[in-house]
Amino acid sequence: MTSRIPSVPVPAVFAQLQALRKAVQPRAQRVLAMARARWLLRSIQRLGHNVAAYGPMVVHNEGFISLGDRLTFVGGMVPSSLVCHPGARLTIGDDTQFNYGVSLEAWESVSVGARCMFASFVRVGDKDGPRAAPIVIEDDVWVAHGAILMPGVRVGARSVVAAGSIVTQDVPPDTLAMGNPARNMSLELVARETGT
Amino acid sequence: MTTPRRALSREVEGLLARWRLRRCHRVGAAPTVLGRVWIHGEGQVHLGDRVVLDGRLAPIELHAMSADSVIVLGDDVAVEGGASLEALQSITVGAGARLGAFCKVMDNQHHPLRGNRHERPPSVPLVIEPGVTVGSRAILLPGTQLQKGCSVAPGTVISRRIPAGVTVGGAPARVLRREVAG
Repeated sequence: MTSRIPSVPVPAVFAQLQALRKAVQPRAQRVLAMARARWLLRSIQRLGHNVAAYGPMVVHNEGFISLGDRLTFVGGMVPSSLVCHPGARLTIGDDTQFNYGVSLEAWESVSVGARCMFASFVRVGDKDGPRAAPIVIEDDVWVAHGAILMPGVRVGARSVVAAGSIVTQDVPPDTLAMGNPARNMSLELVARETGT
Repeated sequence: MTTPRRALSREVEGLLARWRLRRCHRVGAAPTVLGRVWIHGEGQVHLGDRVVLDGRLAPIELHAMSADSVIVLGDDVAVEGGASLEALQSITVGAGARLGAFCKVMDNQHHPLRGNRHERPPSVPLVIEPGVTVGSRAILLPGTQLQKGCSVAPGTVISRRIPAGVTVGGAPARVLRREVAG
């Protein structure tokens, strides 16, 4: 028999509440983002499940857009945009992540593989003046901040497009493309040194 | 001539700027905040005196991601809209430096080139020394060290040390002009 009134350990309860909030908040945000994506992407013909949009998006669909499962569109200072012109086809594979300000524009065909990562302000457009040619981005590609992919480019699987580069020619698989115009170098040779 | 009314409005503006910078760890004298400024993350943001943050074009993002990351803007730094500073360890901007619109400053690549892409590579502290001008849409990658008074052309991508007083441009960056420092 110590004390009858149980003493409430206020800091412990507070910490517990904080932990609970930390655990619940991301999921709540995900649910909200999924609802937002459902609304923003309502004009899209084929939409996978668990697609989330954490911020505003500009969607303009007159062709055929097909999105895979578990996509993430991160919100930020500039909305991402998906534009598909009449008769064009825009395909995005599963598990691909998009940061803010990404602009994908299809006049003919743009296809993005699975598990790709797009950083902010990446621009992919398959028409440049009169010339239009399909763009293919294979699986596991990482396109870094501010890169631009020109029409007719094919980026191979597991390749990396460095920040700010402008890709005008095909990038083979397992390659780092960097610079303006982008030059290809093997990832095997590049990434040996530091992590940067 | 300063009328009481103008003085009052200046006071109000100063208070408003301080309110918008309330998440900063330290704010110097007379900050100017226009438009939107986003300060997020758990780390610390230190601002010097007379800092100008002009977020009218697009929001300015100061993102100190982890608890021990630090962003330091020195005295008289001017930042234009859309600039985004993301620190995992530290970003230091010297006195009188100017950051152009939509420039991106990051001290971590966020994903390793090889191996598991979902873990973070080690970060490299990024230093911008006093008097540096960074053009719009420039990208400063980890490992960048801009030495005193050098200037960076718009759209440049940099990931290494740039000597003092030099103008660099292009992707990958090369020296456009060499000037006598000081």
